[in-house]
Order: sequence, then C-alpha cells, then structure tokens
Amino acid sequence: MIGSSLDPRSKLIVLLAATCVLMTFHRWFELAIALGILLIVTLLLHLGLAWLGLLKGLGFAAFTFFIVAGLAFDLATAVLAALRLLSIGTAFFLFFQTTSPEALSNALIKTGAPYPFVFVLTVSMQFVHVLMRRVISIRDAQRARGIPVEGGLRALRYFPALAGPLLIQAFQLADELAEAMEARGFGAPGRRFRYEPNLRLLDWAIMIGSIAAALTVIFI
Amino acid sequence: MILRFDKVSYRYPGMAAWAIHDLDLAIHPDESVLVAGASGSGKSTLCRASIGLVPHFHRGELTGRVLLGGLDTRQHPVYQLFRYASLVFQNPDAQLFNHTVEAELAYGLESLGLSPSDIEERLTWVEKLLGLESLIRRLPHTLSGGEKQRVALAAVLALRPRILLLDEPFTHLDPEGAEQLRSTLRLIRSEGIAFIIVEHRLHEIITDVDRLIVLHQGEMKIDGSPRQVLSGDISTYGLNLPPLVRIFRALGWEKTPFSVQEALREMDANHLSPQIVLNFQEQNSIVAGPAPSAYRPVVEAEDLWFHYKDRPVLCGVDLKLGQGECVALIGRNGAGKTTLAKHFNGLLRPNRGSLKVFGLDTRKTSASKLARHVGFAWQNPNDQLFRTTVREEVLTGPRVLQAYDPAWCNRLFERLGLGPLLDRSPFSLSEGQKKRVSFAAALASQPGLIIFDEPTAGQDDPFRRELAQLIHELQREGRTVVLVTHDLEFAARHASRWLLLAEGHMIADGPPDALMANPTAMAKAGLRPTQRFQLIQTLKEKTKE
Repeated sequence: MIGSSLDPRSKLIVLLAATCVLMTFHRWFELAIALGILLIVTLLLHLGLAWLGLLKGLGFAAFTFFIVAGLAFDLATAVLAALRLLSIGTAFFLFFQTTSPEALSNALIKTGAPYPFVFVLTVSMQFVHVLMRRVISIRDAQRARGIPVEGGLRALRYFPALAGPLLIQAFQLADELAEAMEARGFGAPGRRFRYEPNLRLLDWAIMIGSIAAALTVIFI
Repeated sequence: MILRFDKVSYRYPGMAAWAIHDLDLAIHPDESVLVAGASGSGKSTLCRASIGLVPHFHRGELTGRVLLGGLDTRQHPVYQLFRYASLVFQNPDAQLFNHTVEAELAYGLESLGLSPSDIEERLTWVEKLLGLESLIRRLPHTLSGGEKQRVALAAVLALRPRILLLDEPFTHLDPEGAEQLRSTLRLIRSEGIAFIIVEHRLHEIITDVDRLIVLHQGEMKIDGSPRQVLSGDISTYGLNLPPLVRIFRALGWEKTPFSVQEALREMDANHLSPQIVLNFQEQNSIVAGPAPSAYRPVVEAEDLWFHYKDRPVLCGVDLKLGQGECVALIGRNGAGKTTLAKHFNGLLRPNRGSLKVFGLDTRKTSASKLARHVGFAWQNPNDQLFRTTVREEVLTGPRVLQAYDPAWCNRLFERLGLGPLLDRSPFSLSEGQKKRVSFAAALASQPGLIIFDEPTAGQDDPFRRELAQLIHELQREGRTVVLVTHDLEFAARHASRWLLLAEGHMIADGPPDALMANPTAMAKAGLRPTQRFQLIQTLKEKTKE
C-alpha cells in the first residue's frame, strides 16, 4: 500500500497534529493553503482519482456546512467551516489510504489497546462492503414485488421493508462472524503477529517534527 | 481416534427439542465422512459440537461427552481446540473478516502463536496446495463465490487441523467450482487430514467418502459405507439420492451405482434390460413446452446488451419465452443468468437492444408495473421478510400493487402449506418454510411469469418434490416459469428448455437433451451432461447395436 513504509503510529501522530493545527486556523487563506498542500500530497501519492470519489460525499457535507453556517452566522464563517471540513477530511483520507486495517490494528495493539476492541473495530470496516451488497439485494427483492423503496414520500412508509431485513441480516452476519472468528482462535492467549510494527529513526523524527510543528502553530 | 461423541445430546437455549440426541460417533484419522439428512436433522449442530462451538459459543444444554484429539470439548475453550479441528461454514461472506486474502490466511496462524517464519512457511504451503497465488493480494469482498470458498477453506487448512469439517460447501458452487472443490478434498486427504462433509447433494461427493452417516431429527439412523447405507431403507430421511441410485430404486433394483460405468456393469452382470430404463425415462420425461401452434411469447428480447460500469455482462442476447413454458437459465457463476432474469421484471434495463415482457417495453415500464406480471422468488428469502406475520408478508405485494384477490391468496396458502403458519412471525420459521413464504409472496399478485433464483440450493428432497409439483401446477395454469440454477439434474427433469449462457452470450437454446448432446456448448458453459442423460444415451446406443 502507498506510503505504508512508515509505522502507522507515526502516521497517526501526524494525523492528530495536522487535525489540531487545522482546528486552530481562523483565516480562510491559511486553510486554503493547508488544503492545497494536502492535495499536492494526494496527487504525489497518485490518489487523485480516489480523492475525487471521496469528494462526492465530502463535498456534499462541506456544502451543507457552508449553507448552514452561512445562514446561522456569516459568509466568512461558512467559508471557514467548509474549508476546515474539506482539509480534515482529506487528512483522514490520506491516512486511511496509506494504512491497511491490519497494520493499524497491529499498531494500536502495540500501543496497549485491547486486542478484542481493536480487532472488532477493524473488522467492522470490512463489513461495510458486505452490507452494501445486502442493501442492493434487499432493495431488489422489495422492488420485485412492487414495494416502493426508492425515492418519494411513499418510500418513507415502506422504509421498514428496507431497514428490517437489513438490520436482521446485520445481526445475523455479526453472529456468524463472531462464530467464525472464535473458530479460528479469536482471543487465544499468546497471539503473535506476522508483521510486528517497529518504530524506526525516521518514524521518531516525523513524530517529533509534527508535534513540534503543531505546538509552534498553536502557541506562536 | 480423532473425534468421539459419547451419548451426546444438545439443545439450543430456549428450545425444547434436542438438535442432536444420544449421538455416538467415532472418527478415525484419514477417514472421510459424509453426513446427510433432511433440513433440521442436526447436521450443522454436529459440526459445531465437534469443534467446541457447542456449547462454548452457543451455550444451551449439552449432555454426554465430545472428545476432540483426546480433549473434552466442555473442559477446553475453543481456542485450545481449533488446532485439532477446523470448520468451513456455510456462508463464506461471514468467515472472511480480514482486509486481504493473505491476512485471512495468516489470521488463524497468528492465533496459534506461530513465529513469523513458521507463518510464512504455512502460507506458502497452503497457497500452493489450493492454487491461491493469484488471489493473495485481493480484497475478500472482490472475490467470486467459488474463490471465497477456496480462501475460507485455505484459511482453516493452513492450521493443519487433524480433522476438517465442511458445512454444505457445494451449495453455491457451479459445476466447475464443485469439481475444483472435489479435487481439493482429494488433495486434503492425501495430506492425511480426515474430513467430515455435510451435504444435501449426495452425488457431489459420494464417490470420495468412505462413510455415510444419516441423521434424522437429531438422531443417527444409519452409519456405514455409502453403498451399505444407500442400499437400505432410507426413504423416510429426506435424502437427495444420487441420480442413478434413484433410477435403480424406482425400478426396484437393489444395486447402488454411483457412476454410469457402474450402472452399466451392474445391468450387464444382473441381466437387467436397458429397455426397462428407457421406458422408465420415457414415462418420466418432463412436461413438453407449448406446441408451436399454441406458442404465445411472453418475453421477447432482441440484441440485449447490458454492462456494469465497463464490464459487459449481457452481450447481444436474443430470446423468446412462451406462455406455459418452463425454461432454465444455466451457466457458470458470473455468466449473466441473474442479470438477465433481473431484466424480465425491470430491475435492470438494457443498455442496448429491446425487451418486451407481456408486450410491455421494459425500458419504458416501471418495475412496479412489471411486478404485476412477473414474480421473482429470490435465493435468499431473508432479503424480503419484514412483516410481523406470514399473512401480512405475503399480502403486502398484492396490496401495494392493488392486485389482491382473497380467493387466489387463500388457494396459494393452502397449496404451499402455509395455512398453519399464517399468524406466525416469518422470522421464526425454518429456512425451508421461509422459502415457501417467499414463493407465496412472488405468486401472490398472480404473475404470468415466475422466476425462481436457485430454488433448490441447500434444500432437501421433500422440498424439491414440492417445488417440482408447484412448477408443474403453474405451467398447467398457463404461467411461464424461469429457473435460474446450477442444479442440472433438477433442471433436466423439470425444464422443457435450457438457455445456456457463457460470458454474457446466449450460446445455446433448446431442449435439455439436445443441449447435453452438444459437447461444444456444454464445455463453453462449463457444464457436463447429467449422469441420467449419460446413462440413457449409452443405453440407447447399446439398444441400437
């Protein structure tokens, strides 16, 4: 995976530092410059197309923020809110695009987070795809018998036709998943990992550098 | 002895009935065992009890003793037992929970506490054994059904268990996938690993096992070599007998042939007349399609094209389906069968070409309007259940479509045996009962065309018989039936016409026997003629001589 040569812990520190810095910016051009830098990094990592995909959802959220903040406050606040959301969203996007769930969970465990908690967290990310497929199957099954589950006020009445089977299948899937994990030794004491994350000099340098940079921006 | 059940009974929490009862069983290293029985006979529970998931994961009440590798499963947690026995579950989606195939294979090895170098060694072994090299970096959710199953099998095989259990592994496989799984199981045996396989479709694996166990209502009824068991009286256990055994039994012959060659040998050795088999086949041949003079097309597709994103799925399909026909859509997984079926009720619309269903252009007609004419019974009935009673579940569709006919629906309830279940929650039903509810829901608006998507997958013999009867009744009423299926034996017996699809192309269209006699088309669609067909053809040639 792109950028996976760094330890996920050092990337996590960079992400947290970047988020803190972005939260402290209160001028639109500061946020615009930060977003510009993040986009350059995105392009350098050949993630431009993937970012455009993200923009479908993130752009909509930023636009909604813009409208709400514009109506509640003023134009300047609306611009700041939209830019901040786009910047922070892009920072998280870069982190998850360059860090596999396994690498992240191994790193979190190394930092002392409990294994069951970390594993369940990463597994739930995998199941988004499975559940998305289920949504499509359920929607087709209901449409095939004439139940309107797409668009319009009538669909609201039949929302349980979509939500009911999905909820039940999600619970069922979770149960089957837990059983399958148990059958492959989930929770076994003495678990070892194929890739043990190791902090190298470069990781330390990046962590110290980003913390120092964040403190500088925040306090000076 | 690797696995032993001593007078084991188990019931799930809150259940009065025992899922397995008074079970005595001993499995030795290197043994291959097939466990058969009707739905709800306790097969899956036996698998779960073998690896300690019963009682540790499912709780409930367990009496007697299960010994796995000499360890009492009640006294040892699952994470101490999983190195001895591994289970491949029915649903591959729910057992692939890592980000990549490689991580999936490594997961159990990490649980075993192996060193990174040992993990690498095991991964290399299992990748080579199952030929997974090309899949190793893939994301599990991007794999096909057959690939997912291979990965799930590899993930447990990497643990090098002493016994491997597989719960209905053939259910979602196409004929090529099934053949691949059989080869894999032979390889596993050659590695000295015992296996227990639970399966409805006995003919898929019967020649590769040394022992057949029949469960019925949680009790072990018969245990012996497959031939011993199948030559006894097993008519009450709801088994899908291998097709040639079924023919011999119907003719009152005692032998149990598993292959065409065996059947011919037995017939020669016992001076059994080929003509009797041919006459039997003639009498039991499928209901013919409508006569050409009475042919009234209900579906007319011309040059139908469809693609998902940039991937072509249907490429220039032409077809006509007549009123009262039973047609089977057949081909590999991913050949475009379900995609084509979804065009018939407007869930998908062609990118190019035209499709008329009952004279309605599907590009200009809404799915809800087409739903009055086309019923769709899905493979997974759980996709549609959301009402509090079976009655409401079935009647929701016709009420929305304003096509509710109380007399028709009452007849439907009676025909599908749903009468006693009408006030029950659909969620409390067995999978077979849910399937019947989904059939009723699909038929409730009195559609002229009904599509059954993999209707026999994972179903026992009594269900298949009921389905066959239903299909014939629907045809007699002048309704057109489309079967989307991998079950060639069923399709050959009940469909008067097959449509073979390969990579989105309609490569052949005709009566099953004509298509099975066309080796080029069959090979292109990844199929082999059924054993019944092969036997009949050989006997016909013999009688000509």
